[in-house]
Order: sequence, then C-alpha cells, then structure tokens
Amino acid sequence: MNLKKVLSLALAGAMCLSLLAGCTGGAPNPTSTPAPASNPPAEQSEAPSQPAEPAELTGTLKVAMWDMTADPIFASVIDAFKDANPGVTIEPIDIPSADYGTKLSVMLNGGSDVDVFWVKDADTIYPIAKRGQMADMSSYITRDGLDLGIYNGQAEDFNIDGKQIGMPFRTDYYVLFYNKDIFDAAGVEYPSNDMTWAEFEELAKKVTMGEGVDKKYGAFFHTWQACVENWGVQDGEHTIMDTDYSFFKPYYEMVLRMQNDDKTCMDYGTVKTANLHYSGVFSDGSVAMMPMGTWFAATMIDKINKGESSVNWGIATLPHPENVEAGYVVGATTPIAVNSASPNQDLAWEFVKFVCGSEGAAIVASHGGVPALLDDATLKVIAGVDGYPEGALEALAVKNICRDRPIADKVSEVNQMLGEVHSLIMLGEVSVDEGLADMGEQSKSIQG
Amino acid sequence: MLNKIPTWRKVLLYAVLILICLITLLPLVWMLSASLKLDKDVFRIPIEWIPSDPAWSNYQRIWDQVPMLRFTFNTFKITIITTLIQVFTCSFAAYGFAKCQFKGRNLLFLIYVATIAVPWQVYMLPQYTMMNNVFHMVDTHAVLILLHSFDAFGVFLLRQFCMGIPNELLEAARIDGLSEYGIYRKIVLPQMGPSIATLVIFTFVSNWNDFMGPMIYLNSTELKTVQLGIRMFMGQYSTEYGLIMAASVVSLIPVVIVFLIFQKQFVQGIATSGLKG
Amino acid sequence: MAVKEKAGRKSPPAPKGGMTLRQRRTLMGLSFITPNFIGFFVLNLIPILFALLLCFNKWDGFNPMEFVGLENFKYIFTHKVFQQAVWKTLIFTVFSVGVTMLLSLGLAVLINQKLKGIGIFRTAIFFPYVASVVAVAAVWQMLFQKDMGLINEILRFFGVTDVPGWFATTQWALPGVIIVNIWKNMGYYMIIYLAALQDVPTSLVEAGMIDGANAWQRFWHIKWPLLRNATFFVVMMLTINSFKSFDLIYALTEGGPGTATTLLSQYIYNQSFISWDYGRASAAAMVLFAIVAVITLFQFRLEKKFSE
Repeated sequence: MNLKKVLSLALAGAMCLSLLAGCTGGAPNPTSTPAPASNPPAEQSEAPSQPAEPAELTGTLKVAMWDMTADPIFASVIDAFKDANPGVTIEPIDIPSADYGTKLSVMLNGGSDVDVFWVKDADTIYPIAKRGQMADMSSYITRDGLDLGIYNGQAEDFNIDGKQIGMPFRTDYYVLFYNKDIFDAAGVEYPSNDMTWAEFEELAKKVTMGEGVDKKYGAFFHTWQACVENWGVQDGEHTIMDTDYSFFKPYYEMVLRMQNDDKTCMDYGTVKTANLHYSGVFSDGSVAMMPMGTWFAATMIDKINKGESSVNWGIATLPHPENVEAGYVVGATTPIAVNSASPNQDLAWEFVKFVCGSEGAAIVASHGGVPALLDDATLKVIAGVDGYPEGALEALAVKNICRDRPIADKVSEVNQMLGEVHSLIMLGEVSVDEGLADMGEQSKSIQG
Repeated sequence: MLNKIPTWRKVLLYAVLILICLITLLPLVWMLSASLKLDKDVFRIPIEWIPSDPAWSNYQRIWDQVPMLRFTFNTFKITIITTLIQVFTCSFAAYGFAKCQFKGRNLLFLIYVATIAVPWQVYMLPQYTMMNNVFHMVDTHAVLILLHSFDAFGVFLLRQFCMGIPNELLEAARIDGLSEYGIYRKIVLPQMGPSIATLVIFTFVSNWNDFMGPMIYLNSTELKTVQLGIRMFMGQYSTEYGLIMAASVVSLIPVVIVFLIFQKQFVQGIATSGLKG
Repeated sequence: MAVKEKAGRKSPPAPKGGMTLRQRRTLMGLSFITPNFIGFFVLNLIPILFALLLCFNKWDGFNPMEFVGLENFKYIFTHKVFQQAVWKTLIFTVFSVGVTMLLSLGLAVLINQKLKGIGIFRTAIFFPYVASVVAVAAVWQMLFQKDMGLINEILRFFGVTDVPGWFATTQWALPGVIIVNIWKNMGYYMIIYLAALQDVPTSLVEAGMIDGANAWQRFWHIKWPLLRNATFFVVMMLTINSFKSFDLIYALTEGGPGTATTLLSQYIYNQSFISWDYGRASAAAMVLFAIVAVITLFQFRLEKKFSE
C-alpha cells in the first residue's frame, strides 16, 4: 500500500468534509432554513398562538448575556418573565463580558441553538444583522399592535433595510459624576446641569488640589477614545464614520491641555499603564469630576453599600458643546434580538416583548439602570433607587441622545482604528493634527 | 563521587538561584499581596507589599460568588482525562514516528508539525461549526477533552525524545524476539520517564490554564472551569482585581502541586543508568 | 468516510503471509500512529485545512462564501498595518527565540543538580509559565511604569537618567513585550532541556571528568551533541509560539500604543473578530504558516544533516 495514496485520499476526504462543514455553516440548518420572518406565527408553533388571548406559554429559551452574576438586571428580568409564565424555562448562557462579542458571533456562525441574545457593543450590531442572524420582528410588532414611538426613536436605530432586527432594551448615556467632598473642601459650588465643556475645564482648575499621592484631580477621563471623541459627536452633527475628524480637535486639545499644562486631570499614560480603573479612581475619592456612563451609578451604589467607598457623590448632566443646549448627551442603546435560526421564534418574541415592555423597564429602573422605554415615571423610579444621590432626576433628564457609534457597516473597524490613533495622540507620540489626519486617511481606506 | 560539590560552589549556586527566583517570583508575591487588598488599593503606587489590613474577605467572596468547588472538579476531570489520552496516544505515535521506518513517515510528521503553526483564530470557527453540527458536542466536557487530546504538540515532543533512544538497544531487543509493541512497552516507555513527565506537566498546565476553549464551548454554569470562573469576575465595567488575584492564587495551587510531584523525575542520572546495555 | 476507509485498510496489523517486509513495516508504523492520527485528523486537521482554504474566498463566517482568487493576499500585502505586523513579528521572534533558548538552556544546566531544595527552585523558575496571563500582565505593567516602576528605579540606580517610557511609547513597547515574553516562557523550555539532560548518560560525563575535561568542555563535547533533538524541538516550538503570540501581548498592551505591538496573530484576530473577514484572516495565517514552514524545512534539513 502506498502512503501517498492514503494521504491523498485522506486529503480529499478532508476537503469533502470541510466543504460540508462550510455548507452547514453557510445555510444555518435545514430544519429552520429561510426563517420566513414574514409569517412566522403560522410556521413552527404546534399550537398557533392567538395574539388576542394570552395563552399559557410553554417551552425553553436559550438566552445569551454577559456577566449575569455581576449585573442583577439580566437575572431579574428573566426571573420576572418566568414568574409571569411558569410554563417557560429559560436557560441563560452567561458569557464573560470581555469575550461576549467573540463568543456570540462564534455561536451564531457555528449554528448554535441560542434563541435570544443581547448585543453588548453597538459596533457589532450591524455585522450580525448583515449576516442575517437577527430575525425581523416587524410582523410580530404589527400583529401585537406595538407602538414603537414609545422608545423615543431608539427603535428606529435597529431598523435596517425595513427589518426590525432588534428591540431597544436599555439605554446608557454619559453623565457627570462628581465628588461632593472635594467641592466642599474647595469651597466651590457643585457642577450644574447646564455647563459647557469650557466651563467644565475652568471648574476642574478650581477643584484640583494637593500634591503627590494625596493630589485630588479636578477631572478624570478614562482611557477609552469615547471619553474624548464622544464630546465631538455630542451635537449630533457628526459621527465617527465621518472621514474628516477635525470636529474632535477642540476636545483633544482640551484634554491634552488639562493633562499636560493645567495638570487638572490624570495623565493618560499613567492611567493606561498603571491599569487604573475609573471605578477605583472615583470611588477612592481622588477625582472631583468624571464623565461616565449611567451604568456607573449602580456600581457606585453597590460599592457604598459594601463599604468599599465612602465618597459622597452626585450626578450632573453631561457638559455640552457651545452650539447645543444642555441635555444633548451621547450614549448607546443595548438591543435584544432573536436568532433567525431559532426554532422558537414565537416564544422568543414574547420574551423580547416582555423585557422591552413596561414590566421589563420597571425592573431595569428598579436596579438603577436606564431602560430604553423611558418616561418621567420611570425616571422617578431610577432617581428614587436607594443610594441614588438627590437631584439625580434633573441630572438624568435628557433632550437628545446621540449614538456614540452609529449602526452601519465597518463601524467596528473604524472604531478599532480610532482607538489606536487615540492612544498615540494621548501619549504625545503624534500631534493632534497629525493624529486626526491619520484617522481620516485610515477611515477613508477602511470605508473604501 | 561526582556529585560532591565543593562548599564554596554550593554557596555561589544558591546565591545565583535565589537571585533568579527573586525575579521569577516577584509577580507571585505581588499577586499574593494584591489578593489581600480591596479593589481600590490594588494599583496604588507605591506598592504596599504587605497589606496593613489584609482583606481576607476576597477569598471568602470567591467562595461565595463562584462555585469554586464545582469548577475545580470540572477542571480536574477534563485535565486528567486529557492528560491520560495524550500520554498514551502520543507516546505510541511518537514511537511510530521516531523508530519505525516506513514510506511517507516524514511527510506525515511534517503535517503534524505544520498544524502547530496555524493560529487558532482562523480555525476556531470551522472547528466549532463541526463540533456543533456534525458531532453535536457543544456544551459538554467531552468536546474539550477531545480537542485537547489530539493536538500535534505532544507527538512532536515525545518523538524528539524518542529519537534519542539508541537504535542498537532496539535492534538487540528485536533479535531477542520482542515484537514492536513489546519493545514500545518494555524498553521505550520506561526510557521515556522524564519526557513523559514533561508532557504530563505541559498538558496539565495548558489544560488547567486554558480559557478560550471552555469560553467558546461551554454554556452551562455547572460545566464551567476555573479559568472561566476567574474570567467571570472581569466584567468590562467592574474590574475586581483583588478578587481576580485571589482567584489566580487559588487556581495556581493544583498546578504547583502537580509540578512538584512530576519534577522529581528530573534527577540527574537516574533515567538511563539502569538501562544501558 | 475517508477516515473509515483508511482505518479499515490498515487496522489489521497482524503480519500476513503475502506481505513484503516493507509493507509489514509500513503497517506496523501506521498502527502506532493511527490512534492519535484519527483524532488528530478529524478534530484538528480538517478544520485547519478548511480554514486555510478560506484564503481564496471571501467569507463572513456564516453566509455562503465567494471565491475571490488572490484578492485577500492583494489586500493584506498592501495593508500598512499588515506589513508592520509582519516586520514586528519577525523582530519579536528573533529576540524571543535567541534569548529564551540560551537562558532556558543555561537554567537547565544550572538546575540539573542534586541539591537540597532544588525542587523549590525549579518550581520557582517554572512559575511564570503557570501563572495566569492576566495577573502577570498586571504586575509587569506596574513594574514597567515610567515614573514609579521598579525597573526604571533600577535603571536610575545604575545612572540611567533618560529612562524609557516602556508601554507608554511606541519605540519601547515592543522591547518591553519581548522581555515579559522571555520571562514568561523560559521556565517552559528549561523543563524540556532538563528532561533532555536526563538522557545524558552519567557514565559519559564521568568518563569526561576522569579525562580531566573542565565543566565547559564537558558541556560542549559531551552534553551539547546529545541535546540536539531537544534543541531542534525548542527552537521549532519557540519560533512557532513566538509567531503565534497573542494572549500575553494583548493583556499587556492590546497591541498598542497605536499599532506598536500589533503582531501577526493580533492582526489575524482583528480580521476575524473585528472585521469579520475570515478570508483575509486566513490569508494572513497562510503568510505566517509559510514563514514557519520555510524555517521548519530548513531545520529539518539541519537535523538530518547532523544525525548522519
């Protein structure tokens, strides 16, 4: 026998098998093929659910989310859904947040039987939708007569080519966290809910004090590019997909000025290489003001309850550029979606409808999170959460939330590139102008 | 005999060794120290090596928040089975590659080695798709055991050591009428003690520390492993470093014990002396 | 089905009357390899071959792929980040391989002694390899801090006034990463050398001593030639692992600042999981594969030449 023959046979076999694997990867799986999203209700369900009368729901749903143990919101909405529908079993797939994007896409591409999933990073929404892995929910929305207007335009963000591929679950936007103790010590009034970035910069000077280890910094910008670049898109006129990034310039100059000349904020290089986490820096009381997402409020409440922090903190509305009024903020909405390949479309929709509806919203709010379904009543619930600082109600009120990352093609690549150049600018390896020019060039080549 | 080392050399040797160990152990000391601190103190500069108010609660919290016992059991199970399969099939194949003459052997071996050079990032998805759609093994321990048992590394390692066994020894055995299997069992295996110890150590460590495999393949909490448990602490929004370090320290202990046991195989001179013949 | 057929053909290893000696030998050899090969073939080789075939296709990981010929290669070869990544990977590899090999060999010889507590020392040196990447990265980031880090303190002690900024600068980040990589892996290769040193017959060393050879002569003339197989393995694995290095660098710098420490494997990762372009990722992997293959073949030649 000739080994070469064996080998070539084996290789041929490999190709066959691999092509097979490719096929199965390509066309999700014969049983659920072209998930006819147009008329899903009639499709797979044995007992066609009548929308009018809420029949007893039964079945099992696999739901993917991240850091379930750390964030009580996911577990609470799931429990509430189970309480309302005792016949339903939910199997949570809890994924470490840092790897959520990777695992989710491997699961979806690899034909996993996950039914429902939340999408963590705004820049991964478009690629998943483009691959056709998020089921169109339009027909269900029509069937159930759902008014998407209640989401203040956020639902439209997840309407791609006429398909409603996701429903808005929660919203996070940047606010200004501040340390009342430092302001008191400096004898300066607390930040107002109507402040421009220029006023913020001045205010930071007034509350910076001390030297060495005991230095209190007026401001803190975390190392994410979002913590500088977001202020450039706050006015809603630009997005990170523009290829002329000069609108970032004032903010890079401001942060560099604060870091290098005024020394009113911690140096990027130190924060980055010392692995300083914003939550540590703020909760141990070494910074006076920090623009950060609303999610951080729950963390602070938790830290104080556990006795890990004794900071007397407050919230103000995010400072705004000169050309827009207060209340124009920047943030992102977390959607929940149904896997197109899921055989449990009906039940999956019921779950989505529940968590994005008023019951779900109330639960999110009761944990201090901001639900996408936001009205004054919900805001009051959030501000009334035990541990929330007073005055939060006014601070949280917003007029407009700009998306920090639009839902479009190539956003993740542009975002990645912006992050790379951001670090060079912040470290002083390139000048602001050089960096912005480089961003523009690379963005053009990425977007083709 | 030759192992009598003069005292001054011993002193020098110890001095050098201690210096080296200082460098290699520095992070361990830091880990230990950080594992006893609150999150906010972990990255404080200058470093407080011995925490004035040790936060033993970190260890308590791991115990409460993560089913550590279950995760440890899972990891042990996967690791031990994988190691057994590896040692058996790899030493077998290594003998075939090193000491059996046949056509196409080198090409086959080259294919083995070549696969080591392919980064997992590119074949992870095809592999997952195959394990999911063809074998339906996602979310089981078996998938991790299988995937780790047959990587090319073990074959390569043992083949290299097997090459070193003198051919005369094998020829003599053949003349004595031993079959190839007999030679493998009676002569080659005993000869490979240190190299098999090496493989055991490496397989154990890489399985114990593997994070990517369990992360991709396991969904159910009750199946998860220690490394995955550690990773679960590291939310993007809440980096609990004190806890992570405490968990790292806990997860280190089994590996260190395994290493201490198997490194005893590396004692100068025992391996070959009895077999020279 | 190919697997089955192949296994069927060679599974009866019992010598049959009609076979030539060569056929019998082949069967015998294959019978040793088969148990491992079946698993290896099905679980690893098939997905790997599939992944490598992707380089001629455009594939988002889900929908049907589209044959694009050499487009992916054209793209990566003109991509600035890719060119930089290849270049940096080469630098990273050359230094990592050279220094790690020498250090691990030196450590192995040093530690291959009958001394009280030697097990503790071995464990201590092996420790960096075992420790979790996250923990290790956090410690080294602290040590490499520009102003307060221990390493720069030491440099200042020795009179260096213009200390490097390490991970906060584009030109020092790569050297920093190389240092940590060497530190992390030297214990691993030390173990391989240590195991190989066990195969050096004591009688030979003793004979050398009686002949009056000094320690260096004994090493160079007696031990080193016997370490050839191990060295081949160490250099191969070091090369491959350096080319594939990902976790540690990612934990230390995330490929930054800018793209200063973005090596080939990080590039491949980005193409697969940020751009969702498996074709380009595969093309980049092919390049990595080709470089490693050339080095491997070269080493095989050397190995053959020496063993003759």
